[in-house]
Amino acid sequence: MLLIHCPYCEETLPEAEFAYAGEAHIDRPADPSALSDEEWRDYLFIRSNVKGPHFERWRHVHGCARFFNAVRDTVSDKFMTTYKAGDPRPDLTAEEAAQ
Amino acid sequence: MTTQKHNDTDRSAVMIRIEELVPQARFSLRVRSERARVLSESLGLALPVRIGSVERKGEVEALCLGPDEWCVLAPDKRRDALIEASRAAYAKIPHAFCDVSDREVVLRLSGPEALTALTTGIARDIESMEVGSAARTAFDTATVILWRDDENSFRMDVWRSFLPHVRALLDLAQAEFAAGL
Amino acid sequence: MTRFRVEGKGRVEHAEPVNFTFDGRTYTGLRGDTVASALLANGVHLIGRSFKYHRPRGTVTAGSEEPNALISTSRGKGRYEPNTRATVQELREGLVAESQNRWPSLNFDIGAVNDKAYMLFSAGFYYKTFMWPKSFWNKVYEPIIRAAAGLGVSPGEEDPDRYSSRYLHTDILVIGAGPAGIAAAKSAAQSGARVTLVDENREIGGALLSDPRVKIDDIGAWDWLSAQLVELEELGVRLMMHTTAIGYYHQNMVGLCEKLTDHLDELPEGAPRERLWRVRAGQVVLAQGALEKPLVFDGNDRPGVMLAGSAQTYLNRYGVRVGDEAVVVTSHDSAWYGAFDLADAGTEITAIVDTRDTPRADLAREAERRGIRLFAGHTVTGTAGRLRVKSVRVNPVRDGRVGAAVTVRCDCLLMCGGWTPSLHLFSHTKGSLKWDESQNAYLPDHRSEACHIAGAGRGLWSFEAALNDGDVAGRAAAEAAGFEISDHARFAVAQDRPGTGVTHKELPTDRDAGKARAFIDFQNDVTAKDIRLAVREGMRSIEHVKRYTTNGMATDQGKMSNINGLMIAADALGEAPPRVGLTTFRPPYTPTTFGAFAGYHRGATFELTRRTTIDSWAEEHGAVFEPVAQWRRAWYFPKVGESMDAAVLRECTATRNSVGIFDASTLGKIEVAGPDAAEFMNRMYTNPWTKLAPGRTRYGLLLGEDGFIRDDGVIGRITDDLFHVTTTTGGAARVLNMMEDYLQTEWPDLTVWLTSMTEHWAVVALNGPNARKVLEPLVEGLDISHDAFPHMSVADCKVSGLPARLFRLSFTGELGFEINVPARHGPTLWKALMEAGAAHDICPYGTEAMHVLRAEKGYIIVGQDTDGTVTPEDAGLNWAIGKKKPDFVGKRSLARPDLVMPGRKQLVGLITENGAKLEEGAQIVLDPNQPKPMKMVGHVTSSYRSAALGHPIAMALIEGGRDLMGDIVHVPLPGVTHRARITDTNFYDPEGARLQV
Repeated sequence: MLLIHCPYCEETLPEAEFAYAGEAHIDRPADPSALSDEEWRDYLFIRSNVKGPHFERWRHVHGCARFFNAVRDTVSDKFMTTYKAGDPRPDLTAEEAAQ
Repeated sequence: MTTQKHNDTDRSAVMIRIEELVPQARFSLRVRSERARVLSESLGLALPVRIGSVERKGEVEALCLGPDEWCVLAPDKRRDALIEASRAAYAKIPHAFCDVSDREVVLRLSGPEALTALTTGIARDIESMEVGSAARTAFDTATVILWRDDENSFRMDVWRSFLPHVRALLDLAQAEFAAGL
Repeated sequence: MTRFRVEGKGRVEHAEPVNFTFDGRTYTGLRGDTVASALLANGVHLIGRSFKYHRPRGTVTAGSEEPNALISTSRGKGRYEPNTRATVQELREGLVAESQNRWPSLNFDIGAVNDKAYMLFSAGFYYKTFMWPKSFWNKVYEPIIRAAAGLGVSPGEEDPDRYSSRYLHTDILVIGAGPAGIAAAKSAAQSGARVTLVDENREIGGALLSDPRVKIDDIGAWDWLSAQLVELEELGVRLMMHTTAIGYYHQNMVGLCEKLTDHLDELPEGAPRERLWRVRAGQVVLAQGALEKPLVFDGNDRPGVMLAGSAQTYLNRYGVRVGDEAVVVTSHDSAWYGAFDLADAGTEITAIVDTRDTPRADLAREAERRGIRLFAGHTVTGTAGRLRVKSVRVNPVRDGRVGAAVTVRCDCLLMCGGWTPSLHLFSHTKGSLKWDESQNAYLPDHRSEACHIAGAGRGLWSFEAALNDGDVAGRAAAEAAGFEISDHARFAVAQDRPGTGVTHKELPTDRDAGKARAFIDFQNDVTAKDIRLAVREGMRSIEHVKRYTTNGMATDQGKMSNINGLMIAADALGEAPPRVGLTTFRPPYTPTTFGAFAGYHRGATFELTRRTTIDSWAEEHGAVFEPVAQWRRAWYFPKVGESMDAAVLRECTATRNSVGIFDASTLGKIEVAGPDAAEFMNRMYTNPWTKLAPGRTRYGLLLGEDGFIRDDGVIGRITDDLFHVTTTTGGAARVLNMMEDYLQTEWPDLTVWLTSMTEHWAVVALNGPNARKVLEPLVEGLDISHDAFPHMSVADCKVSGLPARLFRLSFTGELGFEINVPARHGPTLWKALMEAGAAHDICPYGTEAMHVLRAEKGYIIVGQDTDGTVTPEDAGLNWAIGKKKPDFVGKRSLARPDLVMPGRKQLVGLITENGAKLEEGAQIVLDPNQPKPMKMVGHVTSSYRSAALGHPIAMALIEGGRDLMGDIVHVPLPGVTHRARITDTNFYDPEGARLQV
């Protein structure tokens, strides 16, 4: 079981309180009807599936109930950082150096 | 080092007491954080800002559950006045003030083994919870709000339909104290 | 006094005999014994038969790494456990132990014929020997192999024991309470940190329990241990004995299994047998010590052959001499000490055979002083004896050549092939190991978790080194956990017994190595020859060698066999050991019961079950329940002797003819509140909401962004800014999560809040032509006449004096009301309605009747008539789509090429021509005479008997179904193919007249 830092509660808490919510930074298009079938398909289904730092969403569902973003290394399964929904992608150079 | 422990039926009652509390009025208060202070004045509440912290004003208790969410507990007699105050404030300060008084049932766990009994179902570090604070968390798979009122005294708010399951698990934990193991 | 017990010696209670049975014979041991030590005290070495060859086997170790001495234990009904390690199971009064894998008896075992046919059973024999004929596998080969191979027999009865589990948070977890672990726990606790010290044994001390002569800071080892116990308690260290760290997971989560009752004479009432601890530690100190390796030679598995260090443990800790005449064979200094201790206790050491040419001079002198014959630079090439070793062949080795053998008599052979640091838990963390050339051992290298390794676990072999290393590790852990640390405590040890040694592949022999039965993995019966064969047959990776030979795959997880297997594989491959690598250790460290993993999750608490406030009324009135999502719901209410079919038909008829009452409390309920509530609803649901007036309700349809139906429900507008949303029972949490997701992350600009009200309201549905007659007299503050409160209305009022939110809606096609009251009043409302309805023969109905009634109307159930691939168009729900809305969740997908393609499955009704009820899930074909495999065009989603219609009805998803109205399709079922006509799904009162009354 992982430990996850909730950026809203500012506490590091057991995974049992959280739920995974898919890849992060995939914004719903403002006007979906303007998208081609291919663009809409990519929005719906195409995900990065990286080996290494993965930007993903979690929800502190048994806690403050907020969705937030995290960077987790899919090789080590370790969280590099977590940040609030809406915040920009963090610069990972510092975290990578620390690892 | 092996000691053969003997059964003592009274022991568990001394170690831990579990009781269901009389229901109070309970509200789920939602408002944008920047307007929380103004609203709290209109409603006559004290709203803490740090998630997990509890403020009391008179008989009304408010727990900050999320950046824009509070759990407000009040005596039953205050219910109507609070709802009225919320209605009056709504036009100026939009918010949600939901009467959820019947959603949860509150258990009081007290005694030297109360904390241990909670560790049968709660993954977070209860020991390091400050007295006077509270947290929404999970007991087994049920969402609960855990209040640490004193070193050895906790309240646990459990959604009504989850209560039989939570009670059954606590009863099993209690039987372990009775057995001395 | 048993024959091999040394009076007054060891940590057992000599004044406290404990009786037990082994294979039906009664033996006496002492309090503090294990089954193994008690049997050895009685001269019993033979304890089981091996897995594959049925070779006689005896106790080979004194710890949890034991591969051979597996027994079954029992204590009354259901309390039976196979494959218990006799070296771990503490003696308790009346313990019943049995040997395993033998028939008819341990001494004479028919299966031992396998041993003579060993050539057949070499590595990979399953794959090679039983290839054909293929048909023989299931009926002949597998049953025979299964009967012949194996260890214990699975329990056949339900386990009556309870199992417990707890979470534990600690700053520092120290695993292993030997000298390094004790020192670590002390120094860590001195910093003020919360420290937990665990050990699988019954008492602290580790190797010190086997070496009482050692003096620590001028105090005898055992007195020192007693003092430590006091000190640890004073320091507030949580000490957990009988507790095995079974797995080391991410971010310092360590699983512990604590055995609570297996060692107790009497079971305390209600006591759990074991407790699984999920420990979250800030820092972990691994002080698990090292495990002794066997030497690999022909006959190294005969009863009486055991590890030298274990013999020393049996002597010093349990006061048991493992034999009268011992030969010691070793490649490490440590075995010499055991030999001396045994000699001093009265066992004749016939010989010490050291594979090294020049043993340490001081050791040689000590041996000479005791008159022990010494064979330096020698090998052993075989043992003799049927059920117990009688003699050993000893040969000189000079320049790699093995000379002529001499036979040395013995009744036990004590071997030592050096020591392997116990790094299993470290391995669980993917921490990397590094081959240490001087020690011929893997030592910890790169750490992936916040852990520290101390003592023999990182190759430090003396007590003094282990103690001081533990102290350093404990302080390092405390510092890393953010505590202030004290000065280094320096331990001085007298009478220490440091040593060095060499590591071998199989020992050289003068005989045909191909015929040697030199075992590496005792539990899985893997020999050196098997490893070499695997390499010859093309296995290059150590992981392949492991799987082909099953080396290290038994329940002992290769604790004794791993390094020997590696040395031999490396030799066969012509590679250096580090280039061959080590196989991965996996949790659990030792076999763990299913009970411990299940914990409280069995029986009534197997999983969370939610109950409504009306559940107990239903139970009292004979309801049969069914699980629906996490809930248990009343399924139907049979009268005495009534079948389910009859009850459901009766409940449906009563509802259609008069009035039925139904507990709808499980429906999900969400309040959507705020100035942007209508806009939010417009974006989430397919329907338009802007023009819905307060006090009115509308059927709402929710799609996923992929355009498929996710949920539905009736939604009421309470005020301009407040919607009361209902969801399906199973969808409540999911829908709220989805709404929160969009609200928080896509549309944070909307001023809207969502609150789950599911549990706040108890909901009772009244349906039937007489519903209003029952309800009306109870309602205050609201006119519920048809004109004043038409179909699809909502209002707050009082019902039976209770504050209520009343909906007029229908999921049955009859006049219907849903009354919401605060949950605590649910039973009061229910009883009031039952009383008021008595004059109209009000009938409680369950979920099955509810399903029938809605199916008669063609109302879908999301998840039953849809499966996550059904669009509104497919389900015939296009009318629920707000066509003028610019956007809503899933709208864009409704134009995706796949979703507008002709020939998609569409929901239609089915009526069988012969009046048979179809099976839900049955496949549908157009032409029943086509060759197999037939083209399946759809399946039945719902099927019921219908009292109102007088014949069964069904709904089905069929390709292009709505273009096939009136056509006949075929439903092949076992033994019969039904003909069914495609119809509309609205079977009953298609004009909806019954709603408008």
